[in-house]
Amino acid sequence: MTETIARTTVTPAATRSARAERLGSNRLAHVVLIIGSLVMMFPFLWQLKLSISTQAEITSVPPDLVPSGLEWRNFTEVFERLPFLEQFWVSVAVTLSRTIGQLVLCSLAGYAFARMSFRFKGLMLALILSILMVPGQVYLIPQYQIVQQLGWLDSIQGIVAPGIFSAFGTFLMMQFFKTVPVELEEAARLDGCNPWQTFWKVVLPVAKPGLTSLAIITVLVSWGDLLWPLVITSSPEKMPLAVGMATLSGYQGSISPGVMMAAALMAMAPILILFVVLQRRVVEGIAFSGLK
Amino acid sequence: MSSARRSPDGRWPWLFVLPTFFGVLVFYFWPLLKTVYDSFTDTGPFGGSTWVGAANYSELIADTEVYRAIVNTVVYTAIVLLGIPLAVLFASLLNRPGLRFAMVYRTLFFLPYVAMPTAISLVWRIIYNGEYGILNQSLGVLGIDGPRWISTEWFALVAVALLGLWMSIGFNMIVLSAGLKGIPGELYEAASLDGAGRAQQFRSITVPLLTPSIFFLSVITTIAGFQLFDQLFALLGPENPVMSKTQSLVFLFYSAAFDTNERGYAAAVAVLILAVVGLLTLFQFRLQRRWVTYD
Amino acid sequence: MRIPSAVNAVVVAALVLTAATLTACGGNSDTAGDAKVPDDPAQVTGDITYAIWDVNQQPAMQEIIKAFNQQYPNVKVSISLAVFDQYFTKLKTQGSSDNLPDVFWMNGPNFQLFAANKQLAGLDGLQLDFANYPKALNALYTLDGKQYGVPKDFDTIALWYNKKLFADAKVAEPTADWTWDDYKTAAGKLKAALSPKGIYASSDELGNQGNYYPAILSNGGSILKDGKSGYADPKTAEALQFWSDMVKEGYTPSGAQGAEIRGRDRFFSGKAAMMWNGNWLVSAALKSPVKNDLAILPLPKAPSGERKTVIHGIGNVMSAKTKNPEASAAFLKFLSGKEAALIQAKAGAANPAYTGTQTDFVNSAPYALKTFIDAADQYSEPYPVSKDTAVWNKLELDLLLPAFGGDKPMAEVGQEVATKMDEALGKEK
Repeated sequence: MTETIARTTVTPAATRSARAERLGSNRLAHVVLIIGSLVMMFPFLWQLKLSISTQAEITSVPPDLVPSGLEWRNFTEVFERLPFLEQFWVSVAVTLSRTIGQLVLCSLAGYAFARMSFRFKGLMLALILSILMVPGQVYLIPQYQIVQQLGWLDSIQGIVAPGIFSAFGTFLMMQFFKTVPVELEEAARLDGCNPWQTFWKVVLPVAKPGLTSLAIITVLVSWGDLLWPLVITSSPEKMPLAVGMATLSGYQGSISPGVMMAAALMAMAPILILFVVLQRRVVEGIAFSGLK
Repeated sequence: MSSARRSPDGRWPWLFVLPTFFGVLVFYFWPLLKTVYDSFTDTGPFGGSTWVGAANYSELIADTEVYRAIVNTVVYTAIVLLGIPLAVLFASLLNRPGLRFAMVYRTLFFLPYVAMPTAISLVWRIIYNGEYGILNQSLGVLGIDGPRWISTEWFALVAVALLGLWMSIGFNMIVLSAGLKGIPGELYEAASLDGAGRAQQFRSITVPLLTPSIFFLSVITTIAGFQLFDQLFALLGPENPVMSKTQSLVFLFYSAAFDTNERGYAAAVAVLILAVVGLLTLFQFRLQRRWVTYD
Repeated sequence: MRIPSAVNAVVVAALVLTAATLTACGGNSDTAGDAKVPDDPAQVTGDITYAIWDVNQQPAMQEIIKAFNQQYPNVKVSISLAVFDQYFTKLKTQGSSDNLPDVFWMNGPNFQLFAANKQLAGLDGLQLDFANYPKALNALYTLDGKQYGVPKDFDTIALWYNKKLFADAKVAEPTADWTWDDYKTAAGKLKAALSPKGIYASSDELGNQGNYYPAILSNGGSILKDGKSGYADPKTAEALQFWSDMVKEGYTPSGAQGAEIRGRDRFFSGKAAMMWNGNWLVSAALKSPVKNDLAILPLPKAPSGERKTVIHGIGNVMSAKTKNPEASAAFLKFLSGKEAALIQAKAGAANPAYTGTQTDFVNSAPYALKTFIDAADQYSEPYPVSKDTAVWNKLELDLLLPAFGGDKPMAEVGQEVATKMDEALGKEK
């Protein structure tokens, strides 16, 4: 990035006109990007509009583009229908535990696979990678049975337990650690560090991009996870938001789409805000995962 | 075995690896083995299985629903893969030197990826509604009579795929942006000095050097495409009359396991999914030698 | 040579897993236990779960639990709620590890599956008087001569209509003597007058319980007779054709349209003048903007002169493998009693099955709700079910629903359903 800036300030006259030409044609780029951004943003804006509309306004033909009143009632109704706050904290607890758990376990395992040698390494790695492509629904019943044996039904541990072991996370961290310069570790070894110290003091500090990547993906998946928590939890207060929202959409009587939109908005908001605030880190993290 | 051959790291590797290994073994690998085993049985909804050999598989081969589900999943994945060239376009526009508001664009493009899939599917359900949805109403203004998106065969599949596409473009774009930044500026300078125009530079420098990122995206998009379930379930709803024509392979699994209570057959479907995705991934990895340039 | 710790770990893991699986799979050979009511209420203790799927009815269920605790203060009952779409998925997952809730809601289509697989406790020990519940419902929850479920509520179908829309269209309101022809004729007139305003003559949901089962039965056809499909019967085909014609003429939305906007939502927002539907919608009706314009009448009669509806109701059942048989039995007995029924009726969320408790329900809305009770007493038949109802219900959804309003004669479609349904029935064990 600094390179680009340096180059443009040192441009000789001949290429300065080329630069002017480039900037001019940026107008077209802006147009395309603006159209693209609108397409990306529209559903969110529409959701905002729907969440303050009444059922009649939502279903009207021709469409009611500017809502006449602000139906804040939709939002209060969400709290009447769901123990929203409790579910929010459950979502937070589950997401936090799962993410931290994965960060710890996957970085440890990933490092070992990347840099250490031990018997059966190949076999163990192959075993772990073999499950990468299986969709989660397939595991539903067996995982339920195991969690039940552990006595962790209808609890946060139950929801989190299978989620902290991740083949994908291990793979991601392994790939990352492979790119860390070997010299760092060799230097540490020469200094007399054992593998743990090497990991903790030398390698981990430079692992930020990899850890960020993993954290982002885990947070996203965890926040929106539906089927597994649904099957594991019974009491509405122990359910994460995703499950609570499914409750709303499965309402036997009629429920205004506006209320559902309000609920969806409130459920998505924390993550949206988090990502907008942390976007720099997020972008770095995702960019990294593609570079490996 | 002499101790010199022993791992110089001593017991440490085990400490690092065992928690994850054990966890994956218990929670994933074992269930996977059990599923493969179940695929050769006729298991009732509450357990109680009898060995039936390859009967589930022969039923699978004869079942038209399976072929339709494969086709649906392939079409879905293909449409979502279109998000990659689109993202290449957007990423290269975004990376223009001196482009203002780049950060803003990037955030806006990225938001769909961050939305909760089940929540945002509900929003799209309203947008797609055949009668009062804003999509059809807008098309109506242009004089086009929009189809009933989520209750008509094939249109429903396209509707779900467009949702998948919309959600993934932001992610693709960021990966590709990083890839673009990794291309040394000198290459472009040298090309301009040689008289190569913008388009030519794009074709001969940008695209080839982006192939590693493109490859990465196509592999994960394919795997994710074959796991389609949540958005389909949320957008169409299980009581939808075109669901049986629009279902993905994973949905077929779910339906066999929980709706029609054929756990053995469902397990066979699961094994099929695993085999298909495995083959596709292998195929992509083999093919990468042909078109992916690593420097 | 020392065993490498890796192999050690794997062996231990394998042993743990084998043990886990064996214990998980071991339970199926038990015979279903029988519920028995304990003698001294104060002695009964335990923590039990009661699973339901309707969030609307949860307050009423909580009240019932409170009343139950007056008699049995040492039993704690927690409600477990799962949305209907996923309720049975969850139940089957739980059943696979012998972890069903202690007491839970059951419906007709799933009953035989659970009962035949020995998941439900028999009710003989509860000493209930089954004469207190409609016969058809008792039959619904009986398998091989033994009853496993206690009817909790019942639903029948009637004709709902919007008086104001009829007045606007200047069409004569329905009467209790209406036939299908009258229904169609009125629909035609309503369509002519109201469709410019985007209002449908009727918004029937084309569901089995609400629409075509009553039509089929009224016409003398059948859905399931002596273990064989009734869809090949010409009388059944006539009933199906009635609905298909309604869709074709544009009097009622098609199945695809219904998937996007439910019939009841249209009706309750004043966008349709009539619909065939059940009493479970009463509380929704009272919350709708058109609540003052609605009325209810018995269903129109088939050409044969008969009218029939299906009767269905949720049943309360108890797990055969509950760890708290005494507490669960006590709770189930309470649920089956008059007090619980009265609480339900007062709450207005469901129409209780216990004979004589429906007054509060009938009075809960200014519509002729007695129609539903009369239907149950006078002209209802049990909802058709088999051991694996879900399989052929899926056929109905896949084959019938898209065919309504199409060009293919419903007799042909019916034949197709019949063939596949008989195949599925033959596979049931």
